[in-house]
Amino acid sequence: MKRRITLLQPLGAPFEPHQAVLSSSNFAIRDLHAARHDRITLGLDDLPEELSNVVESSHELHLRWATEEPFDAIAPFSSRVSPGLHVHYTPLVSGKSSDALCSVLRTVFGADEGDRDGVGCTSPEKSFTTHPLRSTRFATSASLHYYTRLPSLQSLVGFIRRTVCHQRQGGAKCHYLADTLLTADVVDVDYDSTSHTLSISGFWSSSPTGGWVEDIGKPTADDEVEIGLLGVEPGGEPDLLKAGGLLGKIGEDKKLTPVMFDFPSRHYPLAETATYSISFSQPTGLHPEMSISIPHSALQQPPALKDSTCALHTYLTLPSSVFIDQYQVGTEDPLFLQEHNLVAVRAFSGETDLEAPDWAVDRWGSTWLVELATPSVDNSYPASNWTSTIPMHLRYLNPSESGYRSAAVPWPVVFWACSIEEESQIGKTPFDRTNLGYDKLFGPRTIFYQLHPASQHLVEELDVPVLKLKDGEGLFQARNIELGTSVVIVLGFLWIIWRLARVVWATGLGANEVKRPEVHEKKE
Amino acid sequence: MPSSIIFTVPRVLIGACLLRIILLVYGGWQDANSAVKYTDIDYMVFTDASRYVANGESPYARDTYRYTPLLAWMLVPTAWQLPPPWSAVSFAFGKILFASADVLAGWFVLQLLRRVYRMSTIKALKYVSAVWLWNPMVANISTRGSSEGLLGVFVAALLWATLTKRPITAGAILGLAVHFKIYPFIYGASILWWWDAQRDGKPAANSDADLFTRAMEFVTHSRVRLTLSALATFVALNGVMYLQYGMPFLQHTFFHHLTRIDHRHNFSPYATLLYLTSTGAAGFQFESLAFLPQLILSVVALPLALAKKNLATAMLAQTFAFVTFNKYFLWYLILLPLYLPTSSLMRKPTLGISAAVLWVLGQALWLWQGFNLEFLGLSSFVPGLFLASLVFFSINIWILGMIVHDAGFNGDPIALAKKVHWEN
Repeated sequence: MKRRITLLQPLGAPFEPHQAVLSSSNFAIRDLHAARHDRITLGLDDLPEELSNVVESSHELHLRWATEEPFDAIAPFSSRVSPGLHVHYTPLVSGKSSDALCSVLRTVFGADEGDRDGVGCTSPEKSFTTHPLRSTRFATSASLHYYTRLPSLQSLVGFIRRTVCHQRQGGAKCHYLADTLLTADVVDVDYDSTSHTLSISGFWSSSPTGGWVEDIGKPTADDEVEIGLLGVEPGGEPDLLKAGGLLGKIGEDKKLTPVMFDFPSRHYPLAETATYSISFSQPTGLHPEMSISIPHSALQQPPALKDSTCALHTYLTLPSSVFIDQYQVGTEDPLFLQEHNLVAVRAFSGETDLEAPDWAVDRWGSTWLVELATPSVDNSYPASNWTSTIPMHLRYLNPSESGYRSAAVPWPVVFWACSIEEESQIGKTPFDRTNLGYDKLFGPRTIFYQLHPASQHLVEELDVPVLKLKDGEGLFQARNIELGTSVVIVLGFLWIIWRLARVVWATGLGANEVKRPEVHEKKE
Repeated sequence: MPSSIIFTVPRVLIGACLLRIILLVYGGWQDANSAVKYTDIDYMVFTDASRYVANGESPYARDTYRYTPLLAWMLVPTAWQLPPPWSAVSFAFGKILFASADVLAGWFVLQLLRRVYRMSTIKALKYVSAVWLWNPMVANISTRGSSEGLLGVFVAALLWATLTKRPITAGAILGLAVHFKIYPFIYGASILWWWDAQRDGKPAANSDADLFTRAMEFVTHSRVRLTLSALATFVALNGVMYLQYGMPFLQHTFFHHLTRIDHRHNFSPYATLLYLTSTGAAGFQFESLAFLPQLILSVVALPLALAKKNLATAMLAQTFAFVTFNKYFLWYLILLPLYLPTSSLMRKPTLGISAAVLWVLGQALWLWQGFNLEFLGLSSFVPGLFLASLVFFSINIWILGMIVHDAGFNGDPIALAKKVHWEN
């Protein structure tokens, strides 16, 4: 087992040496206000059996979870995904996915039951989606994708307490470690078959009230714990981050060693003022339109390298109840694109059926990479917002007692993607984060500049009108609808048969004798 | 009389063409200048499919292309890359085709009224232009690029070929129409029943003959020719398409309509029920029976009772029955000019106006509820849409009852025309 703890403070933030003390057997943190990234790398032997079986049948498995609450994604952990649980899975043998994956996901993260959001997948074959149907950029791996809304990691914490803590007899310390996940803003799980290791990492954008207070003991023989106390800022070069602080290994180093280094990064944060917000025009009806509003002041191109080309993008993760018409939004019609301030749909994948009701759809939903238009320089009004809109549609959902159901749409991420010409060291850093869904839709030499979502809650709930149905109650219950329709149809049918019978009665089945219609008789 | 100046065949046809040309040009302008398009979404589906076909691919590569490949083939010129302004013309090729089909359909009906019903040209022109040729809605639909206009010309031509005793041609048109849109097969029943030996000038069957002789008498030359011609056309077309595009052709052109999972059936009395059953909330699988009433009426009862009395009105009643239990009202419009002149609706203006008003109100009621659902997001499935669709259904049934009565008791305009002709 390996563990790496990174505590992040702004460069020059108040710090007293006694707040983080490394001794030969222990690392003690006292009242330290800092963001934190904690990564634990496990061998497969360390995992409960039900997990290791599934993991071993994967070529790669990447889970990305983000909270629905807003948080500061500070450097070098600036990348974002839409809130919820994203699963990227590549089977060991192409085309042979493991059905056990879904049952493990349901056990670990909680199953979708009643009103509780959770994992609803039945098997990767049915519920997962594959690589982009249309991508104008780059072909991607053969990985499968799944997403579900997941407001809380309560289930995951319970699972770790029941299995890992129990197995390793970790006791209170293990429970404490597991519980910290409840306040994490981001949690990643990664496995790849080349390294045969599974890593779990969490990111906390801020410390608990009063700051971090923790004593981390010396690990056992094969284990290793690395400590870093860092301040990270954009460096002198536009493609580098500058880090300064203290590093050390518990049990190996006697004290923390000061360091100062520059490193390249794939994701950069933009200034705090570079925000975006998401809304739907009301009433949403069955055809909601999503607005992405960005202050004009935040629309300046990022300070990227020379010779790089940048474009503003949004990456949407839509549950199956909501869909985009690829022919409507994917159009090349400049009038449509202008009206909506869009440039083009760059890629999409997943469930794009334009007609099917939600209950007829197995796959979880769809993802969309859309390039957004930006205002021309001479046409800007710095005080106002620049808004792009994306028309969407709702599927029919199952009947409910109130006549409405909720469709939860997680906020998309919005970022500038800049492709750079020259060779770069992107990705060769200990803090690199990939498999976010959108990163692989761009070339390897692409830098992302993330805008910050501005809201207290990063999920939009849409009211979807559905058939109002109470079990055995009211006039319009299922039985009466069946009965009413049948009676009206049968009566209508019999009425026509009766009219026909009268005709046949009077004149038989053959041609009528020639008789002048009244209208002609009048003329004579 | 001023109407005799306006209502000459060339002027009515030129007017119909002008109306469509104006709409085509206007549509092109609106498409180029507004994000709200004049062109129908379906037309984009057709032209996308034509592009695939032009590249040697299957038209079914386009989602929601649920038509015969013939349509995509016919529209291949829309895929041609021409420099402007020719690109606008090539894009509109399909619309021009549909609009021409409209005018041709009107001409067929006009010919039937004048030559077969022996109606005065002015009167025939008035009916055809009011209902079809100058009807802005008809022109709008075809110039927006809906292929429904093609169905109009198929039905009008089918009736024309039948009433002018061209069994092979009628069969070929029937086979083609069924290949195109399935539902015209209902006309096969009425036309076959109508085309007895007397229609071909043979003496009436001996009512004393035994059953076998009468069964043999049913098999007339015309009926055999029509059937063989229809089958040959239908089988040949499907064979070619199947060889070319395989299962996707059968799936999207035919099976899809039997197994569709989309339950947005506008105006259908079954909509709420199908919503229920498909979610598994209903106790009984109604889908399996839902098509029975409309099939019994359209394929058996209406042809049998009415076809020999008035073929055109019988076909109108069949279409109306089919539509009442489903949705596409446009299908019967082309047959209206043949029915209206002798209908109760025209003879009794109060009745006619009430029927028209109720029909419009029924639709308005449904559309209002539909608007509440689609755009205001109100849960108007029950009672709103449910009751509105049943009310609209009942109004349609009442009108259908009147058409049945008129077809049964009003006398065949063809026989009447002949009698008047002999008397003169």
